[in-house]
Amino acid sequence: MAPLRYLRAVVCLAGLAVPVVAAGQAAQNATVRRAQQAYDNLEYRQVLTLARAALRERLTGAERARAYELLGFTYGAMDSILKAVDAFKQVVLIDPERQLDPNRVSPKAYSAFDVALRQVLLVRQLRVDSVSFVGGQGAVPIRFTVTQPARVVARAIGTGATVVIDSGAWNGQVNLRWPARLPGGDPVPAGAYTVVVDARLGQNTFSASQPIRVGHGRVDTLPSITSLPGYQFLPETEIPPQSWRPVGLAFLYTGGALVGTLGLEGSSLGSSSKRELGLVGGAALVTGFVMMLRKPAPRPAEANILYNRLLRDQIARRNQDIAKENVARRQQVQVTVTPVPK
Amino acid sequence: MTRPALGALLLALALRPATGQLVTVGPQFVLADYREVASGLKYRGSGLGGALWARRDRLSAEAAVVRVSFDPAAGSAADSGFTATQVDVWVAYDVAAYASVEVGVLHRSADPEFDAQSVGAVRVGGRSFYAIGPGATVVFRADYLAAPKFSGGGRAAVSLDLGLGLDVRLAGRLHGTATYAFTRMNRKTNPGGTGEIDAPIQETEARVGLALAL
Repeated sequence: MAPLRYLRAVVCLAGLAVPVVAAGQAAQNATVRRAQQAYDNLEYRQVLTLARAALRERLTGAERARAYELLGFTYGAMDSILKAVDAFKQVVLIDPERQLDPNRVSPKAYSAFDVALRQVLLVRQLRVDSVSFVGGQGAVPIRFTVTQPARVVARAIGTGATVVIDSGAWNGQVNLRWPARLPGGDPVPAGAYTVVVDARLGQNTFSASQPIRVGHGRVDTLPSITSLPGYQFLPETEIPPQSWRPVGLAFLYTGGALVGTLGLEGSSLGSSSKRELGLVGGAALVTGFVMMLRKPAPRPAEANILYNRLLRDQIARRNQDIAKENVARRQQVQVTVTPVPK
Repeated sequence: MTRPALGALLLALALRPATGQLVTVGPQFVLADYREVASGLKYRGSGLGGALWARRDRLSAEAAVVRVSFDPAAGSAADSGFTATQVDVWVAYDVAAYASVEVGVLHRSADPEFDAQSVGAVRVGGRSFYAIGPGATVVFRADYLAAPKFSGGGRAAVSLDLGLGLDVRLAGRLHGTATYAFTRMNRKTNPGGTGEIDAPIQETEARVGLALAL
């Protein structure tokens, strides 16, 4: 059992060491580097001495945070949880966005870090998503984390306007949706803005900010349509089948002229000449016979004409709706919001 | 404009397809048979003429002028011929897809004046027409000849005019036309006040020609 317990201790210490090694790689201050080396060698007394000594020196913010972090991990390893919490509080006050990976640090250190976060008023992880929408028909997603229950006010401060996004008593993860509109309903003017989140708890205050850029563009208009999906125009003429009708009609008309002539002829004048009727009637019969053999002329297809008229009416009505919608769209603004790196 | 150039222009116009056919005009060759009073007085003749046809919406108008030289037919008692000039006018209004009502006038003058009757009358009647194929139309008409006037006097209570027509588009704007007309006037005269006697007039006419659509 003894070797197994020793192995567990080594794994635990190795887990404590990992983030500190990663952080110590960029340390410039010699004392911080030596503290880091001592931590790597598991010489915790030495770490405490060197880290405290480093904190009395002139350090950058990152080096100071690293020194406190070494203290926090070392106190955690030495089971001085309260001192570890105090050290981690200093870390997050210097670097509020500092985050520990729960998969890489020991539970003791992580819980101490978590307790430290809950004891300090912070606004962390303020994120503004890139988004584009028609003014009045969308919103900008904004999210952040408040580490203690506090009165929070989110504002967008820009050269064109300053707008209160939202306010409330919040704790933990907060998700806001900002319509990017002025109190009058118009979209906020284009330009550079800063989303500022102020948290207040008693005498404690904290602010986080994220620069963004608001752009204006034209809303795309809809094209007119020339057809309806699934509906096709039908041919408005149809070719009737071949029939004897042409020659029949020619025969009928010629026969009518012949019967009329015979009926009106008077016996006193004798039978009239039939060469004239023969000439014209023969021409009519020949024409009728030729037309009977020819491909018939296309004739209007009434049902198809009616269908096409209805279809055209529908398309015209839809295009009128599109035109109205386009008039409205031309008066709208496409709002584009993009976060700007700090 | 020289005659060949005019001919070329007319040919080009004739072969160009018409977009809206509203007017046709063209020459006609005429064959005719004329009988008067008795079966022994009969003439045959031929001649030339021209016809004009126009349409606007449901209204159409047609006019034809022909000049025919008649000669006594075989077995005729006549010993000399005459020349007739006939003017026909029709104005029709479509009352259905295949039918029209029409009015018009007929005027035929004879030269020499007393060799045949000169006639004038008003037409009232109707016609039926049908497109028997692409560009081909056949027409049948029947008109009553009202208030006929004769150069030799007399009256004709029953006077009728029948017709058969054919119009075929030959190529582009060029049409071929053929028209048959039969006119019967039961004329009665009262020469010297001795009582009415029958003096009927009967004419058949065939006009064949070309027409140019404008």
